[in-house]
Amino acid sequence: MITNGETLIKVEDVHKIYNGGTLHALNGVSAEIKKGEVIVIVGPSGSGKSTFLRSLNLLEVPSTGRIFFEGVDITSKKTDIDQHRQKMGMVFQHFNLFPHKTILENITLAPIKLLKKSREEAEKRGMELLDLVGLQEKAHAYPSQLSGGQKQRIAIIRSLAMDPDVMLFDEPTSALDPEMVGEVLELMKELARGGMTMVVVTHEMGFAKEVGTRVIFMDEGEIKEEGSPKEFFEHPKEPRLQDFLSKVL
Amino acid sequence: MTNFVDRFTLNFIADGRWHYIANGLLVTLQITFFAVLLGITLGFVIAIIRSTHDNTGKMKIGNAICNIYITVIRGTPVVVQLMIIYYVVFASFDINKVIVAILAFGMNSGAYVAEIFRSGIMSIDRGQFEAGRSLGFNYRQTMMYIIMPQAFKNILPALGNEFIVLLKETSVSGYIAMQDLTKGGDIIRSRTYDAFMPLIAVAIIYLIMVMIFSKLVSMLERRLRNSDH
Ligand SMILES: Nc1ncnc2c1ncn2[C@@H]1O[C@H](COP(=O)(O)OP(=O)(O)OP(=O)(O)O)[C@@H](O)[C@H]1O
Ligand SMILES: [Mg+2]
Repeated sequence: MITNGETLIKVEDVHKIYNGGTLHALNGVSAEIKKGEVIVIVGPSGSGKSTFLRSLNLLEVPSTGRIFFEGVDITSKKTDIDQHRQKMGMVFQHFNLFPHKTILENITLAPIKLLKKSREEAEKRGMELLDLVGLQEKAHAYPSQLSGGQKQRIAIIRSLAMDPDVMLFDEPTSALDPEMVGEVLELMKELARGGMTMVVVTHEMGFAKEVGTRVIFMDEGEIKEEGSPKEFFEHPKEPRLQDFLSKVL
Repeated sequence: MTNFVDRFTLNFIADGRWHYIANGLLVTLQITFFAVLLGITLGFVIAIIRSTHDNTGKMKIGNAICNIYITVIRGTPVVVQLMIIYYVVFASFDINKVIVAILAFGMNSGAYVAEIFRSGIMSIDRGQFEAGRSLGFNYRQTMMYIIMPQAFKNILPALGNEFIVLLKETSVSGYIAMQDLTKGGDIIRSRTYDAFMPLIAVAIIYLIMVMIFSKLVSMLERRLRNSDH
């Protein structure tokens, strides 16, 4: 049992190399993520933010280095990664809802098939989650009938239905029309306040300041600076970060 | 008009010649039905092997075998394949010709169906696969619950078309002396020396079968489409 403050994810000197060695997307990244933390990752385009986030649940397999989740080395060949992914929710920029399934089926598919919940049980929980985001009346609609903001909120609760120990977000609001960004951020803040461990790649600095417990600046495949939102935004040390912040703030 | 009735009587009624058509139709339907089943099964397996190789780099040998299979089948005429299976592979066996034809047309169709399935799988956005895997589904479950149902819907028209082609292609079964629908008409022609009646009758029967089948496919398509979007 992992309690607040204990290490949930440990990243040890991870490198990710593409194109036969010519492209170093991650260049020796180490990090420790504790339970209850809300980590916000920022950085310029191509700096390796997505690659880092996606290596946490092994959607990208590190070229070298190790990643521990709840004490287990998930980069080890012997580890059943599918088992551990059930405990790591992931939210994508483009939602990736299943278009051939209703909203409720999107939410209940994994709990029924993987957690072996009964249909009734899974649907009951699904409706509770839909209630949380105020979308109960969409239960039997299909994803194509929803707005972008609604789709992303459904994607978030689809992950929550698996009762994950951590939620990974890769630019969850970047594909949204501006007027829909707020509703998604609001839900994410609610999760953060509820104690969910979160790792969020985003350009929304307001989110970082409001609920982030730590902000990480990535550049050229490395973690160049990190700190509490206050020191990060008010007293950035790295010139690259100062330059970056002057552009985005 | 009496001329027409006379010719109709001569070609189809006299000596119970319509039996050639009816029995031939039965053989054609039999071959097509089981060849479709074999084609789907084979095509599905080949497509899974090739997509798994494309996605994960595993199954190198299986992929190579599938590639050779597809190249050979698609690179040679089906009638030659049919004759090779009957006169070469099963030369020294006393085997039911219907089974030979089912094997030949099913194996042939499998190569085309495999490519149809594979293009359907590749047409699904990679994000769908990643969403499935990130929820904890393994490769097989992701394919089964998320990728395949969407791929199937996309390929239904192409699949329907392939089976129409298959139905018509079975008309070369006469090459191994099978009495299918086409051969049935041809036998009547050789008895009555009237080419028009039996051959037009055969053509009309094929046409009707194709039209019924097309209709069924488009109905299924509409039902699948209504179930989302
Ligand atoms: N599958 C891949 N094959 C080759 N190169 C890749 C692949 N994925 C990422 N890269 C490269 O790795 C580098 C880091 O990419 P990554 O997507 O992690 O950046 P990012 O910080 O998320 O950028 P963005 O803000 O644009 O999303 C980039 O140079 C990118 O082109
Ligand atoms: Mg990115």
